[in-house]
Amino acid sequence: MSTNPIVTGKLVCVALNDQQQLDKLDATFNEAPYKAAPTQPVLYFKPHNTWNTDGATIAWNEEGLVVGASLTVVFGKECCRTSAEEALSYVEGYTLTHDFSLPEKSYYRPDIKGKCQDGTAPVGAVVVPASDVADPQALTVVTQVNGETVSELPVSQLHRGVAELISIISNIMTLQPGDAIAVGFPGDRHPVKQGDKVTSSIAGVTELTNQVEA
Amino acid sequence: MKRARVLLKGKESHNDVELDVTVNDQGDLVTAEGTVISESEVTWLSPIKNPGTIFALGLNYADHAAELAFEPPKEPLVFLKGANTLTGHKQNSYRPDNIEFQHYECELVAVIGKEGKNISREDAMDYIAGYTVCNDFAIRDYLENYYRPNLRVKSRDSLCPIGPWLIDKEDVGDISDLRLTTHVNGELTQEGTTKDIIFDVPFLVEYLSKIMTLKPGDMIATGTPKGLKDMQPGDTVVCEIEKVGALTTYIVSEQEFYGDKY
Repeated sequence: MSTNPIVTGKLVCVALNDQQQLDKLDATFNEAPYKAAPTQPVLYFKPHNTWNTDGATIAWNEEGLVVGASLTVVFGKECCRTSAEEALSYVEGYTLTHDFSLPEKSYYRPDIKGKCQDGTAPVGAVVVPASDVADPQALTVVTQVNGETVSELPVSQLHRGVAELISIISNIMTLQPGDAIAVGFPGDRHPVKQGDKVTSSIAGVTELTNQVEA
Repeated sequence: MKRARVLLKGKESHNDVELDVTVNDQGDLVTAEGTVISESEVTWLSPIKNPGTIFALGLNYADHAAELAFEPPKEPLVFLKGANTLTGHKQNSYRPDNIEFQHYECELVAVIGKEGKNISREDAMDYIAGYTVCNDFAIRDYLENYYRPNLRVKSRDSLCPIGPWLIDKEDVGDISDLRLTTHVNGELTQEGTTKDIIFDVPFLVEYLSKIMTLKPGDMIATGTPKGLKDMQPGDTVVCEIEKVGALTTYIVSEQEFYGDKY
């Protein structure tokens, strides 16, 4: 397990934010145990034992692993109760997060076992200064497994965009320098096998590569 | 030994210093150099200097699960809280605007003192540094059935006061039958005993460390017994656990809490 120089505080991840996934699950949301579609962003933490880096090997888990990649917003100054209009002015830069987890079976209870395995949240490789990114909504996150593209998620396809999420989350919890938000993952997390190499990239921004333990 | 962290106020705010102190039997604060400081000179901080992962348990007292009309869980219901929720003894916590029901939760917190993975329940207590008290407030209006209890309910600024101190485990001894009480404005509103805990500290250390490495500064808030009551600005809440400590919190409005940032 290695420490990550980018995230030192909270790593907040947004689940169920891919509009295509929400559309697909629409009927399920009306059934038990959910009973109604979410009215707010569905958030979870990747705690400090999960933080990892570009190039790190991810421990295999006998229950299987899936991966998703997300554009990640890194904070350089305190952000408390901001509006969506001002939200982007708090962003220090942008990077990528790989969320390796056990297969997602339910969103009803906090998924500690699925989401909190050691070293399963690599963040990086670098933080691109916000001033170099004209519009985060125009970015696309592409993930390849062993060189083959398995997902392409335009940030514009997210149900809630970057600025709106920062505003909502900063009204729940004050964000500090070293905190980060992974704003949305492809709805269908991709299963990986032992030895698989996972590379995600945002063209012109950054690239993140990890290999699953052989 | 009771170990606390306090902010000693200077003439101006940039002269404030954070101090590690111990609290003696008379309730005096004693610095590392042996200087005694009066409580009136300090602001209490969270006793955990570098907070790690904050685990909290839902529905972990049989009587509380029944109160909320839930079957007692067969597996621990664990959720995580951000460090933004922590605040010290005798500090303000806020009631959000436009809600119907915010309640306290008096909880025994076990603090991890040694790194470990795959710890057996027989060895679990070797990994505990000591105990403290937290008040794991909840806003029931914000509950949704996604990662329930969701972060909007359980990860708000200031809504997990903790302290006043961390007490060494040796000074507490057996934790399997400690009395918990909560008083609101002096009136007893919650009463229970850790005897009614469903998943105890050794079980939880084994359960969590099977999933992940536990590290010093990680905390396990072990859940609350029955006795829920709504809170309003102006209320004073005291959560007390026998042999551990009594934690006082003042409820203020959202506007008062955030001040200029409101």
